[in-house]
Amino acid sequence: MSWDYLFIQVMNGLVVGVIYAMIAIGVTLIFSILKIVNFAHGDLYMLGGYCAYFIIKLLGFPPVLAMVAAMAVLFVLAIILERLLLTPLYSDATERKDEYGLIVTFGLAFFLRNAAIIAFGPFPLKPPSFVEGITEFGDLRVTNDRIFAAGVGILLILALLYFMHRTLWGQALDAVSQSRDSAAIVGINPRRFNSLAFGVGAALAAAAGALIAPIFSLAPDMGVLANINAYVIVILGGMGSVVGSALGGIFIGEAESLFTAFFPDPTRAFAYTNAFGVLVLMLVLIYRPTGLFGRRHLRME
Amino acid sequence: MRGIHVYILIAAAILLLVSANGMNQYWMHVSIMAMVYSILTSSWSLLAGYAGLFSLGHMAFASIGGYTSALLVEWFGIPIALGMVAGIAVCCLLGAFIGWVCLRMSGPYLAIFTLGFSEIVRITFSTEDDVTGGMAGLHTKPIFEDASRLPYFYTAFVLLAVSLALMGLLVRSRWGLFLRALREDEQAAAASGVAVARFRILAFAIASGFAGLAGGFYAHYIGVLTPGIGALDYMALLVVMTVIGGMERLPTAVGGAIVVEFLLEILRGYGQWRLPLFGIILLLTMRFARNGLLTPLWIRFVRLGEGRIAAAPAVAEVQREDSRA
Amino acid sequence: MNERQTLMHGVGLSKRFGGILANDTVDLTVAEGDLIGLIGPNGSGKTTLINLLTGHMKPDGGEVMLRGQPTGGQPAHMYAAMGVARTFQLTQLFARMTVLENLLVPALTRPRSTWAEASRRARGYLEFLNLAHLANLDAKNLSGGQQKLLELARCLMLEPAVLFLDEPFAGVHPQLRDELIKRIQELHQAGRTFVVVDHDMESILRISQRLVVMARGRKIADGPPAEVRADQAVLAAYAGL
Repeated sequence: MSWDYLFIQVMNGLVVGVIYAMIAIGVTLIFSILKIVNFAHGDLYMLGGYCAYFIIKLLGFPPVLAMVAAMAVLFVLAIILERLLLTPLYSDATERKDEYGLIVTFGLAFFLRNAAIIAFGPFPLKPPSFVEGITEFGDLRVTNDRIFAAGVGILLILALLYFMHRTLWGQALDAVSQSRDSAAIVGINPRRFNSLAFGVGAALAAAAGALIAPIFSLAPDMGVLANINAYVIVILGGMGSVVGSALGGIFIGEAESLFTAFFPDPTRAFAYTNAFGVLVLMLVLIYRPTGLFGRRHLRME
Repeated sequence: MRGIHVYILIAAAILLLVSANGMNQYWMHVSIMAMVYSILTSSWSLLAGYAGLFSLGHMAFASIGGYTSALLVEWFGIPIALGMVAGIAVCCLLGAFIGWVCLRMSGPYLAIFTLGFSEIVRITFSTEDDVTGGMAGLHTKPIFEDASRLPYFYTAFVLLAVSLALMGLLVRSRWGLFLRALREDEQAAAASGVAVARFRILAFAIASGFAGLAGGFYAHYIGVLTPGIGALDYMALLVVMTVIGGMERLPTAVGGAIVVEFLLEILRGYGQWRLPLFGIILLLTMRFARNGLLTPLWIRFVRLGEGRIAAAPAVAEVQREDSRA
Repeated sequence: MNERQTLMHGVGLSKRFGGILANDTVDLTVAEGDLIGLIGPNGSGKTTLINLLTGHMKPDGGEVMLRGQPTGGQPAHMYAAMGVARTFQLTQLFARMTVLENLLVPALTRPRSTWAEASRRARGYLEFLNLAHLANLDAKNLSGGQQKLLELARCLMLEPAVLFLDEPFAGVHPQLRDELIKRIQELHQAGRTFVVVDHDMESILRISQRLVVMARGRKIADGPPAEVRADQAVLAAYAGL
């Protein structure tokens, strides 16, 4: 096994990891604030990617602008969905809120996935590159898109962390995630922050979708795998911890890449790579049913 | 003295059996699939609706039941009935194991875990294609050499009837009460003497066994088995069917399966839009009629049958539901 | 007077949550026919103690003995089966099951119980607690006070040797509270053993034969009410909040 190959795998792992991290952060944010697991998050990621693609194709925007536009579109869409579907979570009349959130987001995922197949067709689509070309590190070549994706991804994650710790709105968001009631007493309107959390999570996922699209193409079911990996990550890194999810994402991305590299049977390697994350997930849940680092799972009732 | 509604159902069933002969092969196939789905939705409602365990691994068990039966029959030449029984047994044991593993998991964590389980099963079946035929499919031995689907129809009917009878017995027994208590409040159930761990495992074992039954029958009916049936798409369809019908009762879960399956066929002309449409119906159902769309109909049907004309309730929201099945 | 049998015996019970020692080597003996008031400032570990004595939590140190036998880390439902019943601080009922069904559950967990007998006993207790007319309502439709009574009934269905009531008077309006006190006293006179936790000092003093006071995870007093109330340590604990 050559060092070159290893380097490529590590680079790939970083790219994939950052993308995973962005999706996982959205899931964890939504979980902290709304107290539900968003089973449709991977499909928001998928939509974001397609949205950017069509903004490029139909409106002629340059890719970077399209990504920003897609983030905005998904932000708004997420807020609309949250208002339409999730308001029962805030009413005392709703029972078994856990289950409600589960089924509704699951149903949403089902709808989005199947609607996407019809709207966008089942065949993969590939948008133009963000940054054309290849960069050379000595003998090695890495496509610029990958570097761009990893870089921008990390920037966005850092921006979110800055937002959450340094700005007023972000700190309010953090406050709501720790205690809805205390936040309400202080004068923060929790409902507004639910929408904000959902929107921000979706925007981040949309960016991830837009960034990954020129590298791996878009497909209507790309959300399915993304979902599963997101769950692995939040449970590893902590349901409720943004930093944990970020680090967890990168870890899983790298682990998957290296797993593929080292798995003895190359024909099976790829298929089992997907199972790898899941297996880790299951093992973690068995030993720590509420994840490794996260805040204890708080039920809504 | 049973209510009239029971006799109506029995009469409808007899009518169905008798008229089956005249059905064309296409609708017979749809009916058979509706019955297979009915076994799946009703057993899933046992888990999710009665015991409150939202498992996304149900179709994985159907898949395991199917492959177990198909492979055992192929390798050892055992009769199909035996193969199916073996499939059920494997699913019961594995289901119990999964139930045990999940004991400390709640709500979404359970869902995620079982989703993971289902993915691993699918990936394994898909990848180990020298054993399972992988994505190309495994050819299974058919139950009947007949060209007609009629014997399959009768078989499916019997299997469904027996399944519902058994599940109905469970649900009306004290065990049914305990499962519902689990869903309502596990801590209170424990404080009331309900052996929580035992019943969670039992719920998983029993439900998974029925899933294995459905999977086994399906495998030997359809002729070709692919790992896809364990995939998330089919599990999602199961959830859609059960929730739209009503996940808290067996008859409404069955109703959901039948209605959605038939509608899917009737709407075939509209192509792919059928699926997103049902997605929307699911969302609307959850938002506005969380008990399920068929539940109010079923309750009224039962009340009519028991001769109780709705007396004006003195106290608001008197919900007299003797039959939770 | 005959020497009364010791029903439950918590020896050196300790429980830690993260950095907090919720219970610090607490000893508690419950004898048959006791009516113990368990009091203490908020956060003193009363509910944790109940959780440990009823099997809902495992102690980090010490052990629980039931009729002289160590319970040895069994799950909560085994305690219930052995006659230890409890209510919860925030009423926990089977909300979407009927009042009757709420009572059938504990009844039917008992070996050799039948539906007929369980129904009969359930209706008996409902009569006793003035809830009979609500038998077919879903539990969630009951008023707060009625729900507390239902929880009590649920305990009684287990024919328990000892009942732990966690804040039965909280948020209950005075009329219902008096009724609740009367019922507890009636049941006590009929031979049942109670451990009652509450902050409503008036009610606790009305019913308790014995007061146990906890503060910051430790038991600081245990004896007849008059004695305990004069105890300096107790006064200090309440004052030094």
